[in-house]
Amino acid sequence: MASILKLENINYSYIDGGYERVILDDLSYEFEEGKFYTVLGPSGSGKTTLLSIISGLDTAKSGEIYFKGQNIVRELGLHKYRRNCISIVFQSYNLISYLTAMENVMLAMSETDNRLPKDRKTVAYNLLKRFGIVKTKADRIVTQLSGGEQQRVAIARALASNVDLIFADEPTGNLDTATEKEIIAIFNELSHEFGKTIIVVTHSDTVSELSDERVLLKGGKLHTIATVKDKGF
Amino acid sequence: MNFINRAIKNVTRKYSKSILLVLTFFLIGNLVIIGLGVSNASKSAKILTRKKMRAVVTYKVDYEKVWAYMDSIEDEDERDKFYKDFPSIKLEDVVQFLADDRVKIANALSSSMWYADEKGSLDFVHLNNKREEEMSGSSEQCYYDETGTQVCETYREPYFMIRCNMFPGMIEFEDGGYRIKEGRFYNQEEINEGDPVCVISENLSITNGLGVGDVITLSCGYSSLDTQRAGITAEDLENTFEVIGIYTHNSPLTPDSSNFEWASPYSNPDNMIFMPSTSAYLAQLTSLQKRFDYYSQNQNNYDGDYYLDEDNRPSEENMMKNIDIENATLLLNDPLDVDDFVDDYKGDLSQFVVLDANNEEFKKLAKPLDTLSMYANFIVWLVVINAVVIISLVTALTLKTREYEIGVLLSIGASKLKVIAQFFIELAIVAIIGFSLAVISGSLISKKVGAKVLEYQIASSDLNEDQGYSYDYFDPWSADYTTEISLDDLVAEYEVTISPLIIGEIYIMGLAIVLISVIIPSFMIMRYNPKKILMNTN
Repeated sequence: MASILKLENINYSYIDGGYERVILDDLSYEFEEGKFYTVLGPSGSGKTTLLSIISGLDTAKSGEIYFKGQNIVRELGLHKYRRNCISIVFQSYNLISYLTAMENVMLAMSETDNRLPKDRKTVAYNLLKRFGIVKTKADRIVTQLSGGEQQRVAIARALASNVDLIFADEPTGNLDTATEKEIIAIFNELSHEFGKTIIVVTHSDTVSELSDERVLLKGGKLHTIATVKDKGF
Repeated sequence: MNFINRAIKNVTRKYSKSILLVLTFFLIGNLVIIGLGVSNASKSAKILTRKKMRAVVTYKVDYEKVWAYMDSIEDEDERDKFYKDFPSIKLEDVVQFLADDRVKIANALSSSMWYADEKGSLDFVHLNNKREEEMSGSSEQCYYDETGTQVCETYREPYFMIRCNMFPGMIEFEDGGYRIKEGRFYNQEEINEGDPVCVISENLSITNGLGVGDVITLSCGYSSLDTQRAGITAEDLENTFEVIGIYTHNSPLTPDSSNFEWASPYSNPDNMIFMPSTSAYLAQLTSLQKRFDYYSQNQNNYDGDYYLDEDNRPSEENMMKNIDIENATLLLNDPLDVDDFVDDYKGDLSQFVVLDANNEEFKKLAKPLDTLSMYANFIVWLVVINAVVIISLVTALTLKTREYEIGVLLSIGASKLKVIAQFFIELAIVAIIGFSLAVISGSLISKKVGAKVLEYQIASSDLNEDQGYSYDYFDPWSADYTTEISLDDLVAEYEVTISPLIIGEIYIMGLAIVLISVIIPSFMIMRYNPKKILMNTN
């Protein structure tokens, strides 16, 4: 499979109590297209830092990141990279509280999409419907929805921009087991049927066991600990 | 969904916050409207009152300055020198002023009292007052001559006021006080030539059965010891003038006037005769020359230096130099140009002459309005500054609670400028609503507040005692063309109205407040890192 995201010699550290604390140490790794990755690691290992760097929310001290062969800082630009190439799903959903579910989904489209507002609305309703949010709920202010529903809205928003790379930070952390499984199923569907690359940072065994590739962040480096092949797919 | 839509949704869905902000802007708007309304009303009242006043500037010798300077001179010779070259207004200056587009017309006046000829061929218009009864034309007058001998001679009352100008047209005729009923006013050519022409009153023409084209005989003096000594004959004093125009006037000298009973014939505006200054000068030339000759031959008794200098002898050649302009008044086209006009020329004037716009009384009367305007402006600025501070703080505090939303927007690729624009539009929407409501209520409140404050200002000033110059009689010597105004005139023009201009100003000011208020939060937003916001939230 082709590489979608390539990390080369990424370093990240910060000063803590007068000592330099190294989080990412000359980290290199390649993520392939159409795969569902889970990044595991103990608390404080730098999973969230890694996610923020590869999603363009933060920059590494040194090293290069390439999206489909283009440097995300020098060639694409972080702002464009965030807007056109990736989507992020957060543990706390990060929906805008005064907008409806449908409007939150449209929010992502408005930054990338040239379709007419009417068409965008239709796409938003369809996406939400696909994730079990019917029109009556889609028209509600998001704070009136349950946690699971809000997370589904957040995933729908991530998909609305029609990007190839989706990051998720503990997306099922606040959800019950049944909903968690639903969300994992969606991620699998997205990667296997729609060719999206999903990179999920998680502590959850349930999530990691159902991913294509489990990657462990340890000692500032990424190590593949299990692949689809290992799991016998 | 673009930032404008988001802004609208934020305002409409977070309505409790929006209502509070609308209320804040409403209160700010009311204070600003009151301030602007009152300040504007004060300015308008001043402008309207100034427009009501004549656009008159007087060019004159500043005698206060002259006397003060003379007091400071200790050397006798220097003082004599100053006397001989006594400050006076110059015709060439008036000509220069007249060339200015802002000047409509100029009066460079000289006046004298004249008599009918020996035959009494021209009768004056009678007032039939007590003075006429008691004086009955002449009386004996005694005085001491230069040798200390008492001399008594018959005094003849002058009948006519000769009002002369160096320019065609006069302010009196320009502003409607006097009007040519028949014929015309004298022209520049007649002034240059000193043609014997005059303009008389309708009543004088009726009294003497005169019409345009007729000739009258006037005497610029009468036979007295003084004229006899100089060998001046009645013929030297008498001159004929062609009546080229007849005027009417609306002068208030009537039996109801306070000075009516003791007014002299020449005080009667009907007995005023207008003619060019040069014509009056030439009419007096023979007597002036004879008087000069007599004085030069008797120099011991008179100012010998002056009369010894042949160049000072009155003649046609030195006519322009010898015509003594008592005062010059300029009528400008626009009363609002008066101050600028004075400012433009005051630097060019010599030390002892001034251009006086007669603004002192106006400025004094306008003081309560100025104070009111100053306070109103002060309030506006105070409110605007406070508004900026308050709204900035509110927005900055709101930002803290909206960090998360900003993080989301930035993480989905919205630019920071669009986030700032959204905040600006949100504030602008509530500001427009708040100010629109304030326009309605403010226009009602500002009228009442403005009236109350003005009332207080007037009551607390001492202007009421000083005002009320009211001349109800005709003053033949007066060349004061300024319009007397009272505080009532100013107050009558004072009306607080919220004009479209003020409404426009308020909206511009409101948007400026919003814009400035967004600047500080904008700096905060520009510093925001989506990672920090979102990771912290998570």
